[in-house]
Amino acid sequence: MAVDLFHYLFVAAMLLVMGIFGIFLNRKNVIVILMSIELILLAANLNLVAFSASLDDLVGQVFVMFTLTVAAAEAAIGLAIVVIYFRNRGSIQVEDVNLMKG
Amino acid sequence: MLFAVAVFAPLFGSAIAGLFGKAIGDRAAQAVSILCMLLASACGVTAFVQLVYLGGSPGVVSLGTWVQAGSFHVDWALRYDALSAVMVAMVTTVATLIHIYSLGYMSHDATRWRFFSYLSLFSFAMLMLVTGDNLLQLFFGWEGVGLASYLLIGYWYDRPAACAAAIKAFLVNRIGDLGFALGIALVFFTFGSIDLSTIFAGVPQHQADTYTLFGTSWRAYEVIGTLLFIGAMGKSAQLGLHVWLPDAMEGPTPVSALIHAATMVTAGVFLMARFSPVMEYAPYALAFVTFIGASTALFAATVGCVQNDIKRVIAYSTCSQLGYMFIAAGVGAYQASMFHLLTHAFFKALLFLAAGSVIHAMSDEQDIRRMGGIWKKIPITYGVFWVGSLALAGIYPFAGFYSKDAILEAAYAAHTGIGTYGFWCGLIAAFLTAFYSWRLIILTFHGKPRADAHTMAHVHESPAVMTIPLILLAVGATVTGFTFYEPLTGPNWTQFWGHSIQLAAGNNVLETLHHVPDWVELSPSLVGIAGILLAYLYYVAAPRLPVLVAGHFPPVYRFLLNKWYFDELYDAVLVRPSFALARVLWKVGDATIIDGVPNGLAALTAGGSAQVVKLQTGSIAVYAFAMLIGVVVLSLLVLLLLVVR
Amino acid sequence: MNWTLALPEIVLACCGMAILLIGVLQKRDTFHLCSMLTVGAFLITAELVVSGSPGLGYNGLFTVDTFSTFVKLLVLVAATLGVILSLDYNEHANLRRFEFPVLMLYSTVGMLVMASASNLMSLYLGLELQSLSIYVLAAFARDELRSSEAGLKYFVLGSLASGLLLYGVSLVYGFSGTMEFARLAQALSNPAHVSPGLTVGVVFVIAGLAFKISAVPFHMWTPDVYEGAPTPVTAFLSTAPKVAAIALLMRVMATPFGHLLVQWQQVIILVSILSMLLGALGAIGQRNIKRLMAYSSIGHMGYALIGLAAGSEAGLRGVLIYMLTYVFMSAGTFACILAMRRRGRMLEQISDLAGLSRTDPGLALAFAIFMFSMAGIPPFTGFFGKYFIFTSAVQSGLWTLAVIGVLTSVVGAFYYIRIIKVIYFDAGGAEFDHCPASLSVVAAAGALFTTFFFVLPAPFIAAADAAAKALLL
Repeated sequence: MAVDLFHYLFVAAMLLVMGIFGIFLNRKNVIVILMSIELILLAANLNLVAFSASLDDLVGQVFVMFTLTVAAAEAAIGLAIVVIYFRNRGSIQVEDVNLMKG
Repeated sequence: MLFAVAVFAPLFGSAIAGLFGKAIGDRAAQAVSILCMLLASACGVTAFVQLVYLGGSPGVVSLGTWVQAGSFHVDWALRYDALSAVMVAMVTTVATLIHIYSLGYMSHDATRWRFFSYLSLFSFAMLMLVTGDNLLQLFFGWEGVGLASYLLIGYWYDRPAACAAAIKAFLVNRIGDLGFALGIALVFFTFGSIDLSTIFAGVPQHQADTYTLFGTSWRAYEVIGTLLFIGAMGKSAQLGLHVWLPDAMEGPTPVSALIHAATMVTAGVFLMARFSPVMEYAPYALAFVTFIGASTALFAATVGCVQNDIKRVIAYSTCSQLGYMFIAAGVGAYQASMFHLLTHAFFKALLFLAAGSVIHAMSDEQDIRRMGGIWKKIPITYGVFWVGSLALAGIYPFAGFYSKDAILEAAYAAHTGIGTYGFWCGLIAAFLTAFYSWRLIILTFHGKPRADAHTMAHVHESPAVMTIPLILLAVGATVTGFTFYEPLTGPNWTQFWGHSIQLAAGNNVLETLHHVPDWVELSPSLVGIAGILLAYLYYVAAPRLPVLVAGHFPPVYRFLLNKWYFDELYDAVLVRPSFALARVLWKVGDATIIDGVPNGLAALTAGGSAQVVKLQTGSIAVYAFAMLIGVVVLSLLVLLLLVVR
Repeated sequence: MNWTLALPEIVLACCGMAILLIGVLQKRDTFHLCSMLTVGAFLITAELVVSGSPGLGYNGLFTVDTFSTFVKLLVLVAATLGVILSLDYNEHANLRRFEFPVLMLYSTVGMLVMASASNLMSLYLGLELQSLSIYVLAAFARDELRSSEAGLKYFVLGSLASGLLLYGVSLVYGFSGTMEFARLAQALSNPAHVSPGLTVGVVFVIAGLAFKISAVPFHMWTPDVYEGAPTPVTAFLSTAPKVAAIALLMRVMATPFGHLLVQWQQVIILVSILSMLLGALGAIGQRNIKRLMAYSSIGHMGYALIGLAAGSEAGLRGVLIYMLTYVFMSAGTFACILAMRRRGRMLEQISDLAGLSRTDPGLALAFAIFMFSMAGIPPFTGFFGKYFIFTSAVQSGLWTLAVIGVLTSVVGAFYYIRIIKVIYFDAGGAEFDHCPASLSVVAAAGALFTTFFFVLPAPFIAAADAAAKALLL
């Protein structure tokens, strides 16, 4: 079976859904949320590369380079915030993150 | 440029005094606002002299675009012509003197910075009004004057009477403003612009325009003229809408002087002169103007004869003098009305400030029945009071003589029924004016002291900062008459006024008024002297006479004392029914119907609010879920639309 | 290639690095110095923005036109006010670290790029640069649980939103074959031949941007982050990024997706209605004034979106005027909120305002002006913003939106005026601490603009008009 554009898109969509579900079904750990976010970005990247290849257009792949850089920065900032949160709260349980509501 | 400085310097002074008054202190705030006023008056007078005597050319000082919406275009612009220049010069001069006078008069007040800030704001609003190049800007100044007068009348906000007076002034003015606003709307409707130049240029084309209302059609100019005059009635306190003016006495005396002399009440007269090109083609509206003016002149003069509050007497005299100005405007002699406005500004400011000086000397006593016998103790005040009264009564050679004569002659020379009505009302009012003026002088200054010994011991002449403005105004009240008589109302009036006042082709009142019979020319002076003599007879020669007269005609006396029962009439016809109606609406309409619906809605809102807040659980998972649902729903919506199309 | 098009951004970024260097190398405390330098950098940038010439550069990535100039100036003004607002607070809250203004500066660079983006790539990068800095700012009070929680929430949800946006971008790219706005507009010129994948992509892009302007249903972070973040950050958050994000949304919707109006119009209408309703309803029960401002900003964005939904030049002009008025109202309100301090402790409850009219009449007056303006009462600016928005909606036949807008304004007026009631009629507490000059300046500037806008609105309206025209070509 040949692997065509549709398959890539399908995998990417699966990754996206997994990522989103990872954010709101996960009850345990903020780190998992960070991983889910990476999944979403990956899904988009996969899409971009697949489209780039199928359109025979390099722009998509250039964009992926930028996205990877942004993702790295995002991960760094995310981890830093999680660290200071942990220092203040003593826990990174997701259900503990509800000091402010209403 | 000078002109713009004259207009905006008071605003600057007001802003500094108002915003930083507390921080920089009273002295600095006073200094700033007075310096600004001095600058303004210097610029204003220079601009006036340049235009009228040095052959400057009139024009428009444009300051930028204000509103631009479709075909509706309004600029911020100052109109620089003889009419506005003479008003600016007069307003700035008189206002400056009043500012200086207030230094002394308000010296014991706790928040002087606030007072000076309001005073300057008032002057600015009035300047904005007289220089407005379009009706919206004029209206801006008009409302600004209303606002500032509200603030000033209610300046002593801890006195209930002052608050009530301020509200009354504000409300009564609103009625007039409604007319004015409707007038502006109709002007825009008719001329397609509210720019003065455009309107005046378009006057000949819209002669035949009519409005149809309830099946009857009305000439456009008559409707516009009447509506504008209703606005003028509110501001200028003409019969019917005059009720606020006497109550406005609750403000500090310099405020009364400013309201009654230089600003506010003259706005209506100015509006008539400004709109002379349109008014000229609205004969019925003009007749109405004369009718109201003449009636006001007579009415206010009769009421003035029996009042006992020194400021109220002068207030009613203002009302009456404004009536004169409208008589003149109504018969087409706008020049004469502006002339009287000018002279009146000086002698009325003088009278009010002198009255303030008397009140100051009498330890805040305002009732003339508890005065008397003080003329030797306050000679300067006494002297200038005489000058002011002579000018008011129209005695040669004081200012009022020239302007009042011109008005009465114009009314006679108009040779119309309504003009004759105006003439006779004016003549009787002139007699009464002289009478109550001397009644005031005699009761206030002469006779035996009727105040208690303690007060009498404290009677003293006011400080120089108050007397010098008085003396300057007295000079003004003397010289403005013969200086401006020829240029303003003489045959060569166009040299002075330029195109700022335009008359219809058939209007030659100004020429004919110089050729009236001798008895008409002499009569105002004669009745004036007669009035003075009567006052002398009543209050000096035979002091029992007034009591006797009042005793014989008690209904008349009470009718006058209660100001023709206008307040009571309004109370019975308007105020109480509105209260009753309001109570019914409140009980039935509000409490049951209107409250019912919003209360239901409010309950719904509160319920909705609780639901919304409940969603906000603080949990990241829920937030992310909401976003997901949002994306899904919106995507489905779009896809659905795509399918449907 | 005309690289000078991006001169303001380049200069600002270089200034940021220089300020960072100064901050690091100086041994002593440099918070104040760096803040002042940041303000200076903003002023220089504003001058460069004004003197810049229009054009398209960087292979279609970057465009300069009257629209971008208008937005950039507004963003710079908002950012400057934000930096000034932070001066005093950070001194007292022990946040006097020089990174603070630098982060604001870089966030502003991101916003400037957003204003000029003419390609999905520059759109994404500008947005991320702006957001990443703000994530850090929200969590800037490192020792405070609420601040770090706010940072965490904002980060997680913001990343999710930008992930969705990126996914949407990839779909749009894939189904149209280009990322450039101009070529997208060409490719989509016939709405009949638009694939479902592309429309879904557009919805994802809208979702990502709607998150940034906190429009319902992507608003959930707003109240929590507003409450938890240090107040100057909240002030900043409620002004500059909102302007940049809505400007970006306008450009994306009007230029590349302009032909798809019928598709996205319904989405924007729905989002707008929900935002107005939620903003009005959510605020009613609030006791914390920062939370109340969060709901209020949600509502305001709902009103602004009406103009976008109208899809006409008048509508876009209305949005720009609305944002102009909103920036000054919002910055001024936050200046007042920042002045709520008693004996060194910051206060956030609405009830703490009781009796303010007696203890500090000036502050009370400023507060009242902003509240009246937010409620849309003439002659304050808030009225003009709403007026232009509602008329554009009516002109485009969107009666429902206008009616709902007016109704929610009434509800909104209730809670704004309730604050005024607390200030003027409730029996009061003790005096606040002396209001520092920096806050007075911002509050006075905001109040003066808000009050006297009606005196000379013409130049602003003309500028907004020109900007809106540039967008529609």
